[in-house]
Amino acid sequence: MAEFDLSWKTKTAFVTTGIFIGMLVTIQIKSSIPTSSYLYDEMEVQQQLIKSYLDDQALLKSKIVSLRQRIDENQAKLSESKNNGSLEVLQSLKADVGLDVSRGSGVEITLNDGAKAQRANETELGNYLVNAADLRDLINLLRTTKARAIAINGQRIITSSPISSVGNTILVNNFHLLPPFNITAIGDSTVMMQILNDSTSLPDLYKRAKNKQILLEYKAEENMTAPVYNGDLRLKYIKQTIKTNP
Amino acid sequence: MKKRELSLLVTSILAGILIFMQGKAFSGVDQAARRESRTDIFREIQILKNTNDNLDDEVKELEDKFSKMSNQGNALQVVADEIEKYRLLNGQVSIMGPGIRLTIDGDLKAIWLTDIANELFSAGAEAVSINGIRITESNAGFDTIPNGQIMINSVIIKSPYDIEAIGERKTLADALSQPQGIIQRMKENLRDVSTNLLQKDLVSMEKVI
Repeated sequence: MAEFDLSWKTKTAFVTTGIFIGMLVTIQIKSSIPTSSYLYDEMEVQQQLIKSYLDDQALLKSKIVSLRQRIDENQAKLSESKNNGSLEVLQSLKADVGLDVSRGSGVEITLNDGAKAQRANETELGNYLVNAADLRDLINLLRTTKARAIAINGQRIITSSPISSVGNTILVNNFHLLPPFNITAIGDSTVMMQILNDSTSLPDLYKRAKNKQILLEYKAEENMTAPVYNGDLRLKYIKQTIKTNP
Repeated sequence: MKKRELSLLVTSILAGILIFMQGKAFSGVDQAARRESRTDIFREIQILKNTNDNLDDEVKELEDKFSKMSNQGNALQVVADEIEKYRLLNGQVSIMGPGIRLTIDGDLKAIWLTDIANELFSAGAEAVSINGIRITESNAGFDTIPNGQIMINSVIIKSPYDIEAIGERKTLADALSQPQGIIQRMKENLRDVSTNLLQKDLVSMEKVI
């Protein structure tokens, strides 16, 4: 016991250290549950709200597809009972705006984040992530080849389809999409492959793919399907110009 | 080393470990908070809300059409209405409506025009044209020819670029001119580019030839 006969200075040092350690342990235990903080509560509520909107969106989109299909079926019956050329015109117009399931040959492109990428981490360098701009540039390139139909991960792309990013989330037709991004383009596969093989078409994207920062693969395919557009097509502001005779 | 000194050393190491762990715990909070910045998440929520409102309206419109289909007379009217609508969308007829005009003077690459069109459609534009050429399914790609000029629908377009859009004009204008919006980003990236954004009561677009 003689060994523990400490001076008052040593005792004070031990007590202070003990209190300090106790405080640190307490703070550590508390801060290890960040979900209890206001900031995390708020973030959780926001994430729940987003999830709820996305669930609603999926439901509304499936309703839209189902209703359009039922209207199509009724119009087909109408066409059988009444020989009306306007129904053929309507089908052709619908196909032009992406309201049909498009089938045929074309190219399949896969674009994925780099192996080192962590999409959830905002500090991650953008070079290792597939950005919305990469998708926009590829879609633009495919459009210049007069692609008949384009889809990304099952989302049919039409003229007015926005492809945007919010933080590191990519929204296509305002719908959340996660990598890998599979782009289906139906059209002249020879022309498409030719333009995709030209590294000057999208120099930045090709450079990143060459440096293995992102993954870019493409191949010609024979039997591909692009789904029907499942978003809204409402016109609130556009009116046809009425031309008056001079 | 005496036992007392050893105890002090162990205590100090323990304290050091705890201090380090504490520091890491705080930096983790900081990083997670940065990951979901308020501006981004609020924008995302707004986009999703507007999208769902539009989808909901579309469902109501389709339900109305479907119920009309039970009567043959009404069904033919539905067909006629749809033809008219898709002709407006396809660019088969000349159109007009409220909107905006953005004039850009300076050298641009095709990617900027792609991004501006995307931004406008994202903000709810129903039609967009560039230098009088309406963007539709048949001509939606901006091609860059070998000398760097931009071509759309086999027509070379040059500066100044007049970009017009039909839709809710304040929403469209705000989307373009917001802080860190496309106009600001473009000016930060390109030298000698000037822009002029106008909200207009009437924007007209010719049919696509």
